[in-house]
Amino acid sequence: MSEKKKFKGLSDKAVGWLFIGPTVLLLLAINIYPLVYAIKMSFTNFYANKIGRVPEFVGLKNYIKILNKEAIWEKMQVTASFMFWTLLLQAIIGLGLALLLNRKFKGNELLTTLIVLPMMLSPAVVGVFWTYLYNPQVGLFNYVVNFFYDFGSFDMIGSSILAPWSIVIVDTWMWTPFTMLICLAGLRSVPNYLYEAAEVDRASKWQQFIYITLPSVLPFLLLALLFRGIENFKMFDMVVELTSGGPGSATELASINLKREAFEKWKTGYSSAFAVILFVTIFGFGNVYVKVMNKIKER
Amino acid sequence: MDTSRSYLEPSSFSKKIAATIIIVYTVITLIPISWMVMTSFKNVNSAISYPPEVLFEPSLEGYVNLLTNRSRQSPEYLDSLPPPENWYEELVRSREMVITGPSKFLGRYSNSMIIGFGSTFASVFLGALAAYAFSRFRVPLKDDLLFFILSTRMFPPIAVAVPIFIMYRKLGLGDTHLGMIILYTVVNLSLAVWLLKGFMDEIPKEYEEAAMIDGYSRLQAFFKVVLPQAMTGIAATAIFCMIFSWNEYAFAVLLTQFNAQTAPPFIPTIIGEGGLDWPAIGAGTTLFLLPVMIFTIILRKHLLRGITFGAVRK
Repeated sequence: MSEKKKFKGLSDKAVGWLFIGPTVLLLLAINIYPLVYAIKMSFTNFYANKIGRVPEFVGLKNYIKILNKEAIWEKMQVTASFMFWTLLLQAIIGLGLALLLNRKFKGNELLTTLIVLPMMLSPAVVGVFWTYLYNPQVGLFNYVVNFFYDFGSFDMIGSSILAPWSIVIVDTWMWTPFTMLICLAGLRSVPNYLYEAAEVDRASKWQQFIYITLPSVLPFLLLALLFRGIENFKMFDMVVELTSGGPGSATELASINLKREAFEKWKTGYSSAFAVILFVTIFGFGNVYVKVMNKIKER
Repeated sequence: MDTSRSYLEPSSFSKKIAATIIIVYTVITLIPISWMVMTSFKNVNSAISYPPEVLFEPSLEGYVNLLTNRSRQSPEYLDSLPPPENWYEELVRSREMVITGPSKFLGRYSNSMIIGFGSTFASVFLGALAAYAFSRFRVPLKDDLLFFILSTRMFPPIAVAVPIFIMYRKLGLGDTHLGMIILYTVVNLSLAVWLLKGFMDEIPKEYEEAAMIDGYSRLQAFFKVVLPQAMTGIAATAIFCMIFSWNEYAFAVLLTQFNAQTAPPFIPTIIGEGGLDWPAIGAGTTLFLLPVMIFTIILRKHLLRGITFGAVRK
């Protein structure tokens, strides 16, 4: 300590607080305060558009109402199946692409960059232009599908059977590169000596894949799926612009329903309770997932 | 086939197969983007022809429609007007319309620029300060603080949008550039701190210690020695923050209406007569996506490193 006093200017402790302070204060003001506020509001019958009205405390009424509502469970199911299919497809295709790109052929860096492009785009704008590709009369997507097998006229967005697949396809198109990149990072982190040792032991390529490659890339794949899972649970922008939750409520994800309750019906108290439930769900699942992931890593 | 070949040295045959599959995937994945760019250069009729036209006569109608407001007029009225002064007036007249003024697109686009650059600068600057402190000093509850900073990213935007909406209304920050800059700064801050801490950890402590022995204060050493060393990491972080602010939609659509609205909520509202004006939407999309695509290709090395960063460092 006495050595450090020789330097001029502020002490390290002062500089430390000066540097961290603004970040922590901003996060408290713009992130934590609103969250606490939302939790408080979730116990009232507050309507944000009725300015003069004093909100009353209603206890757990909002929560009970939500958990007993059939429609909410339907939204949760829509969200769950959207997450299941997008994560499954992105895991398989992303890992496959990463394994291929890891062969380090000529030009693979340029190709990686081009493959990554879709995930750099604005999800809302992506949603808009896919409505054009999916257009039942003039859409390129419909044309290409009919080119390979003639289904006749079909409407990806307008049909309640196809609409959930329309958002799965767009999300997979957009975000598979993310899984691919993380898996690629995982593949490149596998030390060469493992394969060298395996070759000395005369392990076949297939055995090398099952016993070396797969176990080392798995934690990375699971991490990528965690990130995508959190994002897709919150999914809003792309789907709002593509299907706006329709037809009916075939693609109405939880967060789209939340937006309707909060910003169209202005049921602030009720929607805050719903937000808290969603938040707890992400945290709960996230925590369990991380624990399982760490167990797999330890093995 | 030679079975002794390993993952270390794939055979040239397997390389070729891998390359072929990857090229096919790349082409397929780029079709939607290319299609939108092509549509922006079509005229309204060829954009809705079926089967879709791959070869077409290029037109700037989409861009003209994107940037102007027009109204339909009777042929008699159009005949009574003086001849058009320039090519775009002529183009609009040929559709029996007149230009009534510029559209809102450029205003929205410049809002995106102002809010994007403002929030990127702020989050990278504040993030660099915090990252340096976390990297170098003994901060009480360091791990908890770092986790707290990261966990703020898990909130669904809509969950905090109502309280922020009410708070901004009280503070007079609703629908203002400053309000949106502060909001995007905060959303990006957690990522900025985490990414930059990794880069700061890589800079040897000895650099600034040497500077301090030479008479620099801690602050001077940070600004004159550490920051220039961290430039690569700062660039990578800045791109991520910029892309997020540029693409953000939920907060923009919920918290802004006229003054500070960015381009993403505006592009879907470009509606022509009888439905959506696809060339104009294509033009808006193309102009909006262009900076991000150029950025991605030019700065690909920094970018790819940034994406895989969290995973590689654990």
